[in-house]
Amino acid sequence: MKELNELEKIMFRSSGNGLKPYEWMVLPTRQQQWIDDKGIFLWLAFFFSEIGAGLYFVSMFYEYKAGLILGWLITLVLGGFIHVLYLGKPMRAWRMIMKPQTSELSRGIWIIGIYAVFGFLQMVTGSFNIVLNTISGILCLLIISHGFATMNVVRALPAWSSTMVLPLSIVSGIWVGQQVLQFMVAVSGSAAMASGMEIWAETFFFAYFLCVLLYAWGTYHSDDIGKASIVMQATDDELKKITWIGVGGLGIVLPLLFTLIMWGGDTNGVLIFLRLACVFAGDLALRYVIMKSALYKPLLTRQ
Amino acid sequence: MPRWGMVIDVKRCIACWGCTIACKEEHFLPPGVFFNRVLIGESGKFPSSSKLIYPILCNHCTDAACVEACPTGATYVREDGIVAVDDDKCVGCRACLVACPYQQRTYYDQKTKDREYFPGQGKTEMELLGEKLYPLKVGTVIKCNFCSERVDAGLKRGLIPGKDDDATPACVNACPVGARIFGDLDDPDSEVNHLIMEKKGKQLRKEFGTEPAVYYID
Repeated sequence: MKELNELEKIMFRSSGNGLKPYEWMVLPTRQQQWIDDKGIFLWLAFFFSEIGAGLYFVSMFYEYKAGLILGWLITLVLGGFIHVLYLGKPMRAWRMIMKPQTSELSRGIWIIGIYAVFGFLQMVTGSFNIVLNTISGILCLLIISHGFATMNVVRALPAWSSTMVLPLSIVSGIWVGQQVLQFMVAVSGSAAMASGMEIWAETFFFAYFLCVLLYAWGTYHSDDIGKASIVMQATDDELKKITWIGVGGLGIVLPLLFTLIMWGGDTNGVLIFLRLACVFAGDLALRYVIMKSALYKPLLTRQ
Repeated sequence: MPRWGMVIDVKRCIACWGCTIACKEEHFLPPGVFFNRVLIGESGKFPSSSKLIYPILCNHCTDAACVEACPTGATYVREDGIVAVDDDKCVGCRACLVACPYQQRTYYDQKTKDREYFPGQGKTEMELLGEKLYPLKVGTVIKCNFCSERVDAGLKRGLIPGKDDDATPACVNACPVGARIFGDLDDPDSEVNHLIMEKKGKQLRKEFGTEPAVYYID
């Protein structure tokens, strides 16, 4: 009996969003490849690449070498390694440099390769001159937005095609990176510097909040499928908890509370840590719901 | 050089799934993997509702989203318009799968390979034979290739794809009502072109700008 049930699951797979097998692509159907099963690696890889580059970017402004090193390592080791783990044929990963003219994934590999070289040079020389900072800064912004840019070019998924996807990814990358740096500074005992960073924490938090709102509003009003994606984020049995608790509670409400408590630079190491933990979880949750709720347009049309 | 395409007459289709089964036999596809499917839906409200039957397969698009998305060049458009996958180059990133608005690609992993048609009883001789005759590489993406092996072999023997069964895709041969017509889209005198012109053939989800080579008529 158990084997029969297993066979049924294989033969009549549901799309995972409550669809019956015969409703596949007849009703809006969820994308699964980049989030379900092994696809979870891609979600983590995009996240780590983004926050690593965000940390590196913010560290350049504060000329904070430890932040540079950690950001560079997170991007390359965690982001890069998890990316490779996701592939069906990891040993062929080098082939992904072959088509930068059309493939966003291929462009990403090139950008990460160049970033690895420039980042290494900057760390070894310890130089924060304007030329190196500008090049590294641009590379960081490209890496921060790479994950969402790869998703943004998929025309078939309206939830990813929103114009707010790229600004959201850049702001969230810098926001999380700034929080990691502020925590590192606070832990290293530079209370004055951590306090001075609070003004930027306030700015980036509100920019992030605005981007999330604009993304949700823009996608909801884009077309029926975009609307269905947002409704799914808010009401689907599995996703609603992650949306409301993860994105809403941990990503926005609690960081807002901590930001208000520390308003004006009255920072505290414990609160900085708690806010970092919330922001981390919130950003992961946001990426998860965006990736999980992307729906394809049904194929049936009346001719 | 011809550009192969297909016309599907949705009025003729009786949703027998003959194309689906013929395709699975031709390519020895494991359980859960389909290169051909039949979608059935409804439109309108009673009493003026109607049933929609759409056999679907890879659209072999001229501006294929999967080709653009592929970072290695493993997915490419052949000179004859067939969108093919070079499994020696595929890294299994599944960017093509996500990019395809028609969702006509499948990621072939170890779990898929290990599936048996009769679970727990081992693979049948037919399944084992299929693994030898039509080997699929684990960790790569697979899809409909318009039975390019049949088309290529037929052309070498001087046969005409779309007219001679041995040079025609299996789903076209299997269709009991002749709802599928295969031929050269670049030949103005081909049957497919006549049908597209006369019956105003439509492409599926044209708004994505992929220029599919599969047309639907009714």
